[in-house]
Amino acid sequence: MQTMNSTSQQNQAPPLSIRNLWVEYSVERGLVKAVRGVNLDLRPEESLALIGESGCGKTTLALALIRLLVKAATITQGTITYRRDGQELDILSLNSRELRRFRWRECAMVFQSALNAFNPVLRIRDQIYDTARAHGVTSREETHQRALGLLEHVQLDPKRVINAYPHELSGGMRQRVLLAMSLLLDPQVLILDEPTTALDILTQRTIIDLLRRLKAELGFSMMFISHDLATAAELADRVATMYAGNIVELGSVADIFYHPTHPYTLGLIRAVPTVTGDFEELVSIPGSPPDLIDPPSGCKFHPRCTYATERCRVEEPKLEPVLGIGHTVACFHHDLVEQDTESLAKNHSHTTRKNTL
Amino acid sequence: MSTITADAQTRAGRRSVGYWARRIGSNYLVRKIIKAVFTVWFVTSLIFVLIRLMPSNPVEVYINELITQYSLTYSEARDQASALFAFDVDQPLLQQYTEYLGQLLHGNLGTSLRSPGTPVLDIIKAFLPWTIFSVGIGLLISFTLGVFLGMIMAYKRDAWWEAILSGLASMLSSIPSYIIGIVLLVFLGVYWELIPIHLMRGSHSPGVQIGFTVEFIKDIFYHASLPIATYVLATIGTWILSMKSSTMSTLGEDYVTVARARGLPESRITTAYVGRNAMLPLVTQLLISIGFVVGGSILIESIFVYQGIGFRLLESLNTRDYPLMQGIFLIITISVVVANLLADFVYGWFDPRVRVAGGD
Repeated sequence: MQTMNSTSQQNQAPPLSIRNLWVEYSVERGLVKAVRGVNLDLRPEESLALIGESGCGKTTLALALIRLLVKAATITQGTITYRRDGQELDILSLNSRELRRFRWRECAMVFQSALNAFNPVLRIRDQIYDTARAHGVTSREETHQRALGLLEHVQLDPKRVINAYPHELSGGMRQRVLLAMSLLLDPQVLILDEPTTALDILTQRTIIDLLRRLKAELGFSMMFISHDLATAAELADRVATMYAGNIVELGSVADIFYHPTHPYTLGLIRAVPTVTGDFEELVSIPGSPPDLIDPPSGCKFHPRCTYATERCRVEEPKLEPVLGIGHTVACFHHDLVEQDTESLAKNHSHTTRKNTL
Repeated sequence: MSTITADAQTRAGRRSVGYWARRIGSNYLVRKIIKAVFTVWFVTSLIFVLIRLMPSNPVEVYINELITQYSLTYSEARDQASALFAFDVDQPLLQQYTEYLGQLLHGNLGTSLRSPGTPVLDIIKAFLPWTIFSVGIGLLISFTLGVFLGMIMAYKRDAWWEAILSGLASMLSSIPSYIIGIVLLVFLGVYWELIPIHLMRGSHSPGVQIGFTVEFIKDIFYHASLPIATYVLATIGTWILSMKSSTMSTLGEDYVTVARARGLPESRITTAYVGRNAMLPLVTQLLISIGFVVGGSILIESIFVYQGIGFRLLESLNTRDYPLMQGIFLIITISVVVANLLADFVYGWFDPRVRVAGGD
C-alpha cells in the first residue's frame, strides 16, 4: 500500500518544476550570482527541505518561485512551471495580474519573520479578509467561518485571535496565525522560509508538530528552508543541500543524513551535534562561504574541501545518481566521501562499544 | 453623642475626598487636562510679565505719537493721553496681575487701550476667523499635497524628476516663510507685475457683502491667495520630505512583502498597508501644526496686509496695547496646548499599539 502510494505519487506530474534557474543581484561591486542553474522538482504532497549556510541562495530561490524578488534581482535564465489539475502555468511569463492571482491561492509562503508579517494597524480578521477578497472571495461571513476553523486548527483561541491586533499576539502565535492564513485559500504548494528560526524551542516543537499534522490532513506540497538540520530531519521526505547558489546533493532524508556523499553535506552534518548521534566530534567546515560575485573556478566548494583535486579546480561537477533511490550528488569524489562516512560511522560505533565495555 | 457622629462623618468625608483626589489624579485624561490648564496659566503669567518688561508703555507710545503728529509739547501730550487712557501705568504689578487674573476667570479679557471701550474679545472675534481661514486652508493644501507627493516620490525614487523634486523640497523647507512671502511680493507683484497686489490687500474687498455667496467666497479666496501660497510653499517641503522617508522605511517592512506574497492588489497595499503606516508619524506633526494655525504668521500677514490676528498682534505690539496683546497671546497659547492634548488622545485612533489600556 505504502509503496503503491509512493509510486503513484511519483508518476503524477510534480506541481512545481524548476529548470536551469539563474538569479542575479546587481550591486555596486558587480553581479551576485545568487542562484546558478538550479534544477528541482517539488513532488505532489511531498515535503522537501532546502538546507545550506546563510547566503547560499535558499531564500532567493524561494522568493523566485513566487517572483517576489527585490528590484535589484533579476531572473536571467530558466523556467519555473506550475501544474494543477493537468494544466501548466509558466510562472516567469505571468503578467502582474496573473501573478497576483497565483500568489497565495496556488503557492503560499510563510516567512521567517512572522513578528512583522502583519500590518500593525489592522485587526487579524481584516487582514484575513483582505487576503480572501484579493482572490475573489467576497463573503465576509464565509471567510470568517473558514478563518475561525483554521485558527482552531493551529491551536489558537480563534475568537480572541481573530479580533486581535498583531501586537497583542506573541511571536509564536503570530507565526501560527500566518500559517493559518497561508492555508486560507487551500494552496497546493506551501513554501516556508525558516519557519521556526525566530521561535523558542518549545514553540518550535509545536510548529513542527502542527506542520506535520496539517500536511497529513490537507495534502499540500511543502518546500521549506532551514539551516536547522534537526527540523529538516523531522519534517522532510527529501532533502536538497544548496551551496553557492546551486543544489549539490539531493536525496531522501535517510540517504542524506545517513549516507551523505557530498563533502559539504557531510560537513554540515558533522557540524551539528544531535541529528543522528553517530559522529562524536563536532567538526566545523573550514573557510567561509564563497564570494558569489567572483565565485571560485570549477567546483565552488573546492577551496574548503579536503577531497579537492586538480580536476575540482577546473571542472564543475554535475548532479549524477549515486546509490539510493533518486539520490544525486555533484561531486567527483563521492565514492571517497561515502567510504569515509561509512568508516567514520563504524569507528564511532566501535569506540562507543569499547567505551561501554 | 451628636458631636461624635458629626466628627465621624467629617472624617469619612475627608477620607472620601482623599480617595477621589487619588482616583482623579491617577486618571490619564484628567492628569493631562490638569497639566494643560497649568501650562496655560504659566504661559499667561509669563506673557503678562514679559510684555511689561518691554521698553516704553502704552501711554508713552501715545504721547510720542501725539508729539510727532500734532507737534504738541510733552506736557500737553501727557495731559491729553492721561485723559484718554483709563489706565494707570504706575499701579503695582501684583495688583494689575491679580485684577487681570480675576477678570480672566470671569471670561473677561478686558478692553483695548487704543480703541477705548472695545472689548478685546470682540477684536479677536473679528480678526481670528481670517487667520484660521487662511492658515488652515494653507495647512490643508500643504499637508495633502505634501503627503501625496512624498508618497509618489518614495515609490518612484529612481526617476530622474524625483531627485529634482527632492532638492526643491529640501530647499523650500529651509527657507523661512517671510522670505518666501517677500520674494512672491517683490517678483510677482512689483518686478513682473503679474498680480495687482494693491487690490489684494486686506481680508476682503471693501464693498463686498459678507455672507455665504459665491461672490464673497471668491473674494476672500482672492485676498487670501498670496498668504495661502506662502504658507503652502513654506511648509510643503517638510511634509514631502517626512512622508517620503516615512514611506520608504514602510516599504521595507516585512508586512508589505507579505502583503504582496498574499496577492493583495497594489492599490490596497498602497493605501491600507503602506500609506496608513507611513502617515502615522505625520499625524502628530499635523495635529501640533493645527495648534499653530491660530498663531498664524505675524510677518506674513503684515507683508500682505492681511487683516488677521497676527496683523492685529503686531499692531498692538507697536502701540503696547497690553490687554489686546494678552488676549491674543492667550488664544494662541490655548490653541497650541489644546492641539497637543488632542494629538495625545487622537493618536490612539490611528495606531492601535499606543491605545490607552481599557480604551478598547
